[in-house]
Amino acid sequence: MLTSSFVLSPAEMRILEGLRLNPRGSFPGRVRGERLTRRKGISIEFADYREYSEGDDLRHLDWNVLARLETPIMKTYRDEEDLAVHLLLDASPSMEFGEPTKLSAAVRLAAAMGLIGLAGGDAVYPRNLGRREAPSAPLRGRASSMRLMTWASSMAGGESRALAESLREFANSSARAGLVIVFSDGLDPDAPTALRMLRGRGHEVFFLQVLSDIELDPDLEGDLRLLDAETGAPVEITANGMALADYRRRLTEHNQAIADTMLRIGGRYALVRPGDSVSEIARDVWKREGWVRT
Amino acid sequence: MGPNLSFQNPSALAWLIPLAGILIALYLLRMRRRDMRVPATFLWPARTEEVRANALIQRLRFSWLLILQLLALALAVLAFAGPQIKQRGLTGEATVFVIDASASMGATDVSPNRFEDAKNQVRDAIRSAKAGDRIAVIEAGPSPRVIVALSNDAGREILALDKLRRYDSEVDVGGALRLGSALVGSLESGRIVLLSDGDFEAIKDFAPGKAAVVYRKIGVRGDNLAISAFGTTDTPAGRQLYCAITNTGNVPMEAPVTITADGHLIDSEKATVAPGKTWGKTLSAPATAKVLEVNLDVKDTLAADNYAVTIANPGASLHVLLLTKGNIFLERALALDPRVTLDKTTELPAALAPYDLVVFDGIPEKPVPSRGVLTLGQAGPNSPVTARGEIDKPQFVSTSDTPLMKGVDLQDVYIERAQRVEAKAEGETVMLGNKGPLVVLSRGSQRHVYVAFEPLKSDLPLQASFPIFIANALDFLSGEASSNILGVKAGASFAIPTKSTVHVESPDGTGLNVEPTGGNAVIRSLDTFGHYRLSVGSQKKDVYASLRSERESDVRPVDNVSLGGGQVKAVPAPMRLTDFWRPLGLILLLVLSGEWWLFARRS
Repeated sequence: MLTSSFVLSPAEMRILEGLRLNPRGSFPGRVRGERLTRRKGISIEFADYREYSEGDDLRHLDWNVLARLETPIMKTYRDEEDLAVHLLLDASPSMEFGEPTKLSAAVRLAAAMGLIGLAGGDAVYPRNLGRREAPSAPLRGRASSMRLMTWASSMAGGESRALAESLREFANSSARAGLVIVFSDGLDPDAPTALRMLRGRGHEVFFLQVLSDIELDPDLEGDLRLLDAETGAPVEITANGMALADYRRRLTEHNQAIADTMLRIGGRYALVRPGDSVSEIARDVWKREGWVRT
Repeated sequence: MGPNLSFQNPSALAWLIPLAGILIALYLLRMRRRDMRVPATFLWPARTEEVRANALIQRLRFSWLLILQLLALALAVLAFAGPQIKQRGLTGEATVFVIDASASMGATDVSPNRFEDAKNQVRDAIRSAKAGDRIAVIEAGPSPRVIVALSNDAGREILALDKLRRYDSEVDVGGALRLGSALVGSLESGRIVLLSDGDFEAIKDFAPGKAAVVYRKIGVRGDNLAISAFGTTDTPAGRQLYCAITNTGNVPMEAPVTITADGHLIDSEKATVAPGKTWGKTLSAPATAKVLEVNLDVKDTLAADNYAVTIANPGASLHVLLLTKGNIFLERALALDPRVTLDKTTELPAALAPYDLVVFDGIPEKPVPSRGVLTLGQAGPNSPVTARGEIDKPQFVSTSDTPLMKGVDLQDVYIERAQRVEAKAEGETVMLGNKGPLVVLSRGSQRHVYVAFEPLKSDLPLQASFPIFIANALDFLSGEASSNILGVKAGASFAIPTKSTVHVESPDGTGLNVEPTGGNAVIRSLDTFGHYRLSVGSQKKDVYASLRSERESDVRPVDNVSLGGGQVKAVPAPMRLTDFWRPLGLILLLVLSGEWWLFARRS
């Protein structure tokens, strides 16, 4: 559990203040919000023309067209609704590695994304991926920031469920389609499949992969029996140059598979390190690559 | 390698199996690995390298380290077993190269000639010899000499090869081999390598001891035309000159024969000679000519026998027959005279060729048709004395003042036994002992010198007076003093009685000064044929050196030579056992280096 109830500093919060989540697609909302949807509704955003039919609101009749063509034509507008933002935080045992731990970094990033969502009037659903928990009510509006921070600061690792399994379970749940932001190390061979499954359920997926130096540049030596932090499965290796090179090649291939999957499903993907600050990631990744907009 | 491989200590090979078993057993031990928790193991390859083993038994896995260690073990055991391989090579652990420096080695059937080819082969052998090999080089010249004693200094040995000289004469190969035997005959690993064309007399008195004798044949063919005879003879019709050309090769040859008298051409004719045949010619020689020379204008394998010279002065050459059971002192003393051509035998031949002088050394004198007779110890019917028995330890009393005894001091000579003699009427006693005459001479139609004791039954041969007495005897018996024109065999040594420095000018124009010792200047430098000019004080002497040797003119290389009573075959290069553990040790180091590199890379 994180000790501070504020996982983000005031300075980081200020940076996040003016940002809005920027999904590629639009999703049907449940309450009126700030996001345009494909549904025609009431807003100032013009959508299309259509012929008049009985009962239509005359306030939306295009009088200029009627005067010229003597044909009643109605103007339609896009509706504005809220966006469901699912913060899926991987709290599996593998996230406890690194200095600082990948979990702590992922929590801070999830809190930051949650704050951005709340500021944009989106419905934010924070979720601990490793734990089976009942769907909770969404957090809405800046007033929910404190609840979001409380969720974040209460986050603890040690959940033993694999990433892909948790993602599949989420995909199969009745969660409202929207933007799914996954904070995880992605160290599951089935992760790409599970991410495709999310897309199949109508979600747009942002995947922020957090990998520490232990994974990216392991400093192992000698004859070892490696124990998987999640499954406990042993692998005997001799950590020599050839083995390390083999490992790095496999990690690169795995990460590339995730990145390729994200590209195919129209999502966004970035690899960050636990030591990277939220402000750096917000500036260099989220804003630059269009995860968020101002 | 195959059958050429052997081991000094083959029992060491038996260690290979148990040691390899221990090594493999170490690999059967299971490794105890350190546990480490990692985020995920699916990215890690199941790559294990068994470089350390310290736990329980496991299944043997393939490991390059094990292969390299087994290889290193095998190499180490093999090296300890002391492998040896048989290799061809001229050199052994102690090798004496005996290089034939005779006239026939000047044959040009191999480039540039046989002698240089032999030197090159020795040079190559020295360069390729192993570090510890000791090598000596002996020049088989008229007087064999050690050019370089046994050493392992290859640089010095190669430099010493330049000191080797070739002689246009017969050489003493037997003496050279005996020198070689003295150097390495006591060594099991000794080797005497004779580089020769085999054109020498069978060598009887030679024993190589423990050393092996290797004959390396030099030369490939023997196409040669040689002047086999050239001389004058007095006949009722006047002085006749005879010349013989022999084809010692296997193909017909022809050449213009040019004969000059005192430098003037007197005859020229083309001689065509079938293989093994001799072409002869006789013609009248100019009565006043002193130096008669013959030249063959032919490019055959040996140039030295294409020239011959004869001196028309009868005293200029002495054909001497020595009857002896063996007297090296006497032979040397006779050979010192440049006029002497010496033949040696133990019995008087039934059909005696015309000799100028006959020397009876301890052999009863018999009548011979020569110009002079020297009798040592055993008087005969023609001696100027009559034998009356024997006397023991006669003492010197006096000598008469004759040219025969000039410079001869016999006062301190010890004589073990002598003949008791009385001088005949024509006999003139020139040395008297306390028990009768000791030296008597006569001046009849056949000059005679009688000495009452055999030299080997006295210490006279060890005295400085002995060669002087022999030289005086030759002068007396030939009836001539030393001539100013001499004809000698090339390579022969001779002495000139003088107290002045003798300057020798060679046919090629180079000069050499010879200092006298003990009243004699010994000339040893007439190695090649041709005309030498000697300056002895104010006196000039012309010396003509020529080969005149049937043995050397037959330049066909011989496959088998007779050395010490046994036949030695020519071999391309003898076999020798060479230790092979050093290369194995080197490979072992490389394997261990590779094993360490692999270990460091994988651990």
